[in-house]
Amino acid sequence: MLRMENITKIYRTGLVETRALRDFSLTVEEGEFVTITGPSGSGKTTFLNVAGLLDAFEQGTYLLDQVDVSRLSDREMSRIRNEKIGFIFQSFNLIPDLDVFDNVDVPLRYRGLSGKERKERIERAVAQVGLSSRLRHLPSQLSGGQQQRVAIARVLAGDPKLILADEPTGNLDSGMAREIMDLLEQINEAGTTIIMVTHNPEHAARAHRQLHIADGRMVDLERIAPFPLNRSAAGARPAVV
Amino acid sequence: MEFGPIFRAVTRHRARFVLIVAEVALTLALVANCLTLILDAREDLLVDSGFDEENLIVVDTEPFEDAFREEAYRNRVTDADVAALRAMPGVKAVSHSGFTPWGDSTSITGIQYDGKPDMEPIPTQIYLGDPEMFKALGVEIVEGRTFTREEYNAPQTNDVERPLSIILNRKFADELFPGGKALGKVIRFGGGESPPLTIVGIVDRFYKPVGDVHERVMFLPSRAGGYPFGPSYLVRAEPGQANAVAGDIEATLLRVDSGRNFEIRTMPELRREFQSRNHMLIATLNAVMGLLLLVTALGIVGLTSFSVAERRRQIGTRRALGATRRDVVRYFLLENWLVTTCGAVLGVGLALALNVGLLNVVEGSRIGWQVLAAGVVLLWVIGLGSALGPALRASQVAPAIATRNV
Amino acid sequence: MLGYNLRLAWKSVRRHPVLSTLIVLGIALGVGVATTFITIYHVLARDPLPGKSDKIHYVRVNNWQGLTPATEEGPPPKLAYRDMMGLMKSDIPVRQTATAAAQLVVRPEKGARPFRGRIRLAMSDFFPMFDVPFLYGSGWDRQADGKPEAVAVISAALNDRLFGGENSVGRKLRVEDREFRILGVIDHWQPPVRYYDIVDNPVGVEVEDIFLPFQWVGPMEIRNTGMQMSGGNEGNFDNFIDGLNASERNWVQLWVELPDEARRKEYESVVAAYISEQHKAGRFPRWQDFLVTSMLAFMEEREVVPPQARALALISLLFLTVAAVNLIGLFLGKFLAKASVVGVRRALGASRRAIFLQHLVEAELVALIGGVAGLGLAVLTMALINRGVEDVPPLHINGLMVLAAVGLSLAAGAIAGVYPAWRICAIPPARHLKNQ
Repeated sequence: MLRMENITKIYRTGLVETRALRDFSLTVEEGEFVTITGPSGSGKTTFLNVAGLLDAFEQGTYLLDQVDVSRLSDREMSRIRNEKIGFIFQSFNLIPDLDVFDNVDVPLRYRGLSGKERKERIERAVAQVGLSSRLRHLPSQLSGGQQQRVAIARVLAGDPKLILADEPTGNLDSGMAREIMDLLEQINEAGTTIIMVTHNPEHAARAHRQLHIADGRMVDLERIAPFPLNRSAAGARPAVV
Repeated sequence: MEFGPIFRAVTRHRARFVLIVAEVALTLALVANCLTLILDAREDLLVDSGFDEENLIVVDTEPFEDAFREEAYRNRVTDADVAALRAMPGVKAVSHSGFTPWGDSTSITGIQYDGKPDMEPIPTQIYLGDPEMFKALGVEIVEGRTFTREEYNAPQTNDVERPLSIILNRKFADELFPGGKALGKVIRFGGGESPPLTIVGIVDRFYKPVGDVHERVMFLPSRAGGYPFGPSYLVRAEPGQANAVAGDIEATLLRVDSGRNFEIRTMPELRREFQSRNHMLIATLNAVMGLLLLVTALGIVGLTSFSVAERRRQIGTRRALGATRRDVVRYFLLENWLVTTCGAVLGVGLALALNVGLLNVVEGSRIGWQVLAAGVVLLWVIGLGSALGPALRASQVAPAIATRNV
Repeated sequence: MLGYNLRLAWKSVRRHPVLSTLIVLGIALGVGVATTFITIYHVLARDPLPGKSDKIHYVRVNNWQGLTPATEEGPPPKLAYRDMMGLMKSDIPVRQTATAAAQLVVRPEKGARPFRGRIRLAMSDFFPMFDVPFLYGSGWDRQADGKPEAVAVISAALNDRLFGGENSVGRKLRVEDREFRILGVIDHWQPPVRYYDIVDNPVGVEVEDIFLPFQWVGPMEIRNTGMQMSGGNEGNFDNFIDGLNASERNWVQLWVELPDEARRKEYESVVAAYISEQHKAGRFPRWQDFLVTSMLAFMEEREVVPPQARALALISLLFLTVAAVNLIGLFLGKFLAKASVVGVRRALGASRRAIFLQHLVEAELVALIGGVAGLGLAVLTMALINRGVEDVPPLHINGLMVLAAVGLSLAAGAIAGVYPAWRICAIPPARHLKNQ
């Protein structure tokens, strides 16, 4: 599904150069549920941005669904984001002006689907996350958990092959967080590949595979054992906002 | 001073400041040119014709009865008209005159010095009138005399031997005979045989901007006035009485002879009509200038607000490091002043360029430095005024924002 | 997608009512002023007789005998009667008409007071040549020109005044001491530029009330109104007609219709031949100085569009430009405030192009609203101008104004919106996603 080899991503601010990813390699198979942990500033978000084609990278190769994405135009990348990738964010990133229906509608609009098909997909996706009764509510009228479910519905409506989730439960209380995790697991079981960044070791443990990023590189978890995983993850936690 | 850091901040946020510079420059260019056009048009509007305009009424008569085809009948009615008008209360002077200040028609002729039939004739406006004309117009005969009754009453002939008396304005007389020696001199109509024209009087001032010569006039005595264009009268009312007198004229003249129609207008009306294009020009340019300044002020408010919003954190940091509210306000005002000044410098250049372009289209003056200076000061004021609000808002930013995570 | 973008734009406009009002106001002012003066300019400068004006020519010959030239460049603006008569002997023009203005006493029936009527002296070809529209009847034929016959054409306004708007063809009209038979009533006709009278009063004066055969000048001893010049023998004759035929006074306008360049050349040689012949007889000291000028060129030469109108049109366009430039900042602020939402849209698959278009549509929508308001403003301004200013043609709202307002507001929207839209679409999508 996703294959990165020796990716290097550099941020430049003025004269300072930060290597956010160095020689980063990772392969994720289709249908996998992978979680990524790591301390703040380790490159987790950068990885997601590169994986989601939101950010360019300087070196290395990246094959997404067998397509080399390093040479694509903005339009082609936008199309891949639109059709193959679904994003779930810590802060939900719903558009405050739009109600539930219209928020779920956003990616479908850019796909150019017919009105009828969009409506079917939206209603199906919103039903899947159990919010059919809230179609005309604005995000501000929903709880955090409901908002995140809308964000998930937005992903489901687009029927992507790959979901990139950036601490999807970070802003939720534990009950709601569990619900969201259950929902993600269901989606994964239906065949969608999921890569999730998280700080929560309990959630991380629900994945098929757990990865750890430190200092812009993938760290083999086997090697850093016997260090208890929860300690390193917990150590990273307070620094993150 | 803080110029250094401000200047560096300006160069770092180029787009925003380029915009303000462009706004200020374009606005200055347009405002300076509008002002110049307005000043030109105002000069035309304010010109002093030398006549007692406030109190003048022009009466045109349009006879339709066949009786008016006969000259003797016309002359009798004219004399009766003048007498009736003169008898009206509030009337100071009445003249049978072919001259209408601020009317839109004129006649122009060429004259030559006596004995120089080959010289190129000098064009001048020419009008016919009676001895009372100058009293009615309110112009002073500064040398010589007005026409006599006899000169006025003399029948029209084509006899080129019979001398005619003429009156010129001072400026024209001095032009023809420098050194104040015009009185008594003889000139002639150009282009053919002409009776001798003796200068018997000089009036102090004349102005009528129709045709190519605005400040030359030659008055001739004549009781011309035919059919269907009857005689015209100039009625000079006592101060403040013009409108009242004008209202009664038609009835008065109809009592003399009802076989004609009248057109009665006061001089301020006529002048306003005559200059309506200039009035419109001034009104429009004023409106454009006002709106332009408003729009520019809005633009600067918008950009400065944006700039403040973007730098809230920075402002908080400054505050945390000890800057007072006053310092923050001063910082933004100084920044604005610096940018406005850059715009003004560019604007002066643009204004001059636009001026050259406009002068290709329309007659006018070059932009004066006073206008440019006034424009620059105006934009400084507007720039600072517009930046003040956002700057004050910036000074309200709490220092605590610096330590808060985004 | 356009519908979707419009919906988003409308939402955004409504979310910031104050800011939106300011922008709309800015554009409305700019568009209002610019539309007004562009319309005035266009009304004055446009081709008054499309497809025909290049065939209709104005004829001038220099009979001037004065020492000072009649004008700075070339012949006097009008002809002497005798030269008009001489030139009209040519049969090269497919149509030709002499014309002049006069004011004569009209005596209505039924005891109403006589009044001074505004008269246009013309020839039969005048009506078809200048596309004069008729409400009733028609103009007269060429036979009526020569004799001349006592026939007249009147305006709809005079027809309303004298005959209550009825079909007055065949009725009598008393002008001075003569009775004329009405042959036609002109439909309400007020071309913004009275293109047949370019020398005297092309703009701001109404079409005359009465049209009479030109040759009544002699029998009725008509003196024209409007410009006249004399650079030679005025003629002091006991008999008006003798004077008319001998005078060098320039007061007649002559229009000829020449269908193509070949005819025009031919006509010019006829004029040249006429001048040569007259020169031999001692006239035309300035020899072959003549002009055959097409209508549009003549309008240009006589500055039918006053320079002030040109200057104001230019200034108003610049004003709109400045207003639009001023709005760049407002749009920039407005768009950048939404950067995080744009980041989300980008993540969900919106291409840079889609974001650019979305924001451009927003700018253009606001601009269009401003344009509509500006159109209202322009209509208002024109009403004011028509009431307050003398020599401006009647201005009405028309298709051109609407087009101009829409075009100008779209252009202003582009000036104001392109840069901000480009800035917002160029922001890397990842920047605003992590936190809000």
